[in-house]
Amino acid sequence: MNPKAKSASYVIVGASAAGVTAAEALRRYDAGAEIVMVSDERVIYSRPLLSYYLAGKLDEDQLLYRPRDFFERYKIKTLFTRAVGLDTEKSQVHLQDGTTVAYDKLLLATGSSPRFPTVEGIRQRGGVFGLRKLEEDAKAILSWLPKAKRAVVLGGGLVGLKAAAALKERGLHVTVLVDSPHALSQMLDESSARIFEEIFERNGVPIRTKAKPVALLGKNNSGVEGVQLASGEVFACDLVVVGKGVDPNLELLEDTKLRKDYGVFVDDYLCTSIENIYAAGDVAQARDVLRGEAWINALWPCAVEQGRIAALNMLGQETVYRGSMRQNSVQFFGVPVISAGLAVLTPGPLGGRSGEHDETLEFRPAPGIYRKIFLKDETIVGFVLVGDLPIERAGLLRILMDRRVNVAGVKEELLEPGLDLGYLLPLIAENREQFVEREFRELVQTVGV
Amino acid sequence: MERLFCDPRRCVACRACEIACAVEHTSSKELFAAVLNGDLGPPRRRVQRLGANPFRVAIGGVALSLGCHHCDPAPCVDACITSAMHKVNGETVCDLDKCVGCWMCVMSCPYGAITPRVKALKCDLCPDRKERRESARYACVESCPTDALFAGRFEDFESVLARPIERPWEVVR
Ligand SMILES: Cc1cc2nc3c(=O)[nH]c(=O)nc-3n(C[C@H](O)[C@H](O)[C@H](O)COP(=O)(O)OP(=O)(O)OC[C@H]3O[C@@H](n4cnc5c(N)ncnc54)[C@H](O)[C@@H]3O)c2cc1C
Repeated sequence: MNPKAKSASYVIVGASAAGVTAAEALRRYDAGAEIVMVSDERVIYSRPLLSYYLAGKLDEDQLLYRPRDFFERYKIKTLFTRAVGLDTEKSQVHLQDGTTVAYDKLLLATGSSPRFPTVEGIRQRGGVFGLRKLEEDAKAILSWLPKAKRAVVLGGGLVGLKAAAALKERGLHVTVLVDSPHALSQMLDESSARIFEEIFERNGVPIRTKAKPVALLGKNNSGVEGVQLASGEVFACDLVVVGKGVDPNLELLEDTKLRKDYGVFVDDYLCTSIENIYAAGDVAQARDVLRGEAWINALWPCAVEQGRIAALNMLGQETVYRGSMRQNSVQFFGVPVISAGLAVLTPGPLGGRSGEHDETLEFRPAPGIYRKIFLKDETIVGFVLVGDLPIERAGLLRILMDRRVNVAGVKEELLEPGLDLGYLLPLIAENREQFVEREFRELVQTVGV
Repeated sequence: MERLFCDPRRCVACRACEIACAVEHTSSKELFAAVLNGDLGPPRRRVQRLGANPFRVAIGGVALSLGCHHCDPAPCVDACITSAMHKVNGETVCDLDKCVGCWMCVMSCPYGAITPRVKALKCDLCPDRKERRESARYACVESCPTDALFAGRFEDFESVLARPIERPWEVVR
């Protein structure tokens, strides 16, 4: 045995949404457990808030969603380094400093990293950033800002557009270049996306669709000077932010037999193909309720829930993971949008088909304000809600979709922003075997159905 | 943990609880002053008709007054990107100083119990009434003219539900 090997019961690699929640659950149910977290970031902060930080709306302290002394409070041993390898036979994680850490149960919560497109010069030019990490990305962009007047954002996904809006607030000229026919193609259908393209335009951030970058101009090892498109057109700029989606962090698993596809495969207990290794969050390819196959929904709520459920299973408290689904809520220039489900299925790194719905319900009280619901076989498979009123009580649609409830009898009412739980209660009672939460059981009992 | 329940047999959808809740969450805590000051926000609980038919007999009652159920685990807490929404002794609490209004909680709440108004507003179990006792502990319970609202554990509420009621409003129209 390696004399330097440190022994531990639970080892978690990654201290973000999934890892932190898992550690809390482990501690909650096992006061004496030895918990070790391996992390290449020292601070626990909220990644979704990075764009607020970039915009100057929140300071660093406001990004912290746990106290600074979290690790001490939860009696967690920390190894602030990178995990570089995994020996599943010996149950050891190899660390960058050459040491190893042994585990009885391991949780992979390594998350994901920005996907950089293959564009000439993208790695050689200065002033080219992703937006994922506080130090390497957000702070690096901020320290580049004094040199920057014009920014180009590559990618019209959620992170790309959040970055674009933040840079605009910092007073830069910002242009967004999107490969796809429309922005937010993973989140919105085309007509909804057009609304947001116009909102960006109106706020001085033009979005160019079907714009394929082929080269980043500039001299090697100096700042970027422009982005050249396949068409030959050039956008002059001194800052580039890449927001073209993410890929799971799998380096650690390269030489292992762990079953992986796009991410690490996990079963309904969030266990990988190796018995004492679990995975949660952006790295884990787990059940998707709507698709019925393993998928990665790289989202904060999914990472948190998976972290907790993985921990319960690591503790031996068998807990089934129901599955995740695509869902998001954001605001751009004051206009809120909540969208969830499959309606806007576009091919992504995992493939994907479009046209999964056979009926669309729509309610548009005013231009740019609406509820749109996509159905397949009388069940909700997706929705897009835009505007202050339409987003209210969005969770009701989400739970009906999540529980695959036949909504044939209530279609018109689903469109009304005034829809409430009382109205849906008879339907919930009819499908009560789907609504297992204590709160739902109590409610159904209360009304004596 | 003590929670709030509504007996649909007694609820007549008068919405007194909504007003009381809205007033409780103003600085003056008085209806008249709150209206004059333009300080009246949305109620954190809402009266909801049961089903399509407002007098739907099959369900046994007419309406329900519903607010946060303080779920455990709570989907809104899982979804919160700032930890504004958090648990304190079983209670789901929103720290308004931390809320950035992203509405992830609105998307997640299966009961539709969170109202997006700059910040995420929800039932906070009347923190300013912590010293009060009995029905005065909660503004909504205090205001309920038919005693439909009940504070306690669900088991206590179940025994209330098990007892027949003799009030005129039990009549199912
Ligand atoms: C700008 C931005 C905005 C976002 N907005 C939203 C939003 O509005 N809604 C939403 O739902 N989601 C949003 N997300 C996505 C959300 O942040 C992620 O889904 C979530 O952070 C995933 O959590 P995780 O714990 O799985 O992984 P991560 O948060 O990626 O954390 C993984 C951690 O592990 C560390 N790590 C990785 N490999 C190793 C290794 N080998 N050794 C040691 N440490 C390692 C990483 O450095 C990192 O600290 C956003 C993300 C970004 C970047």
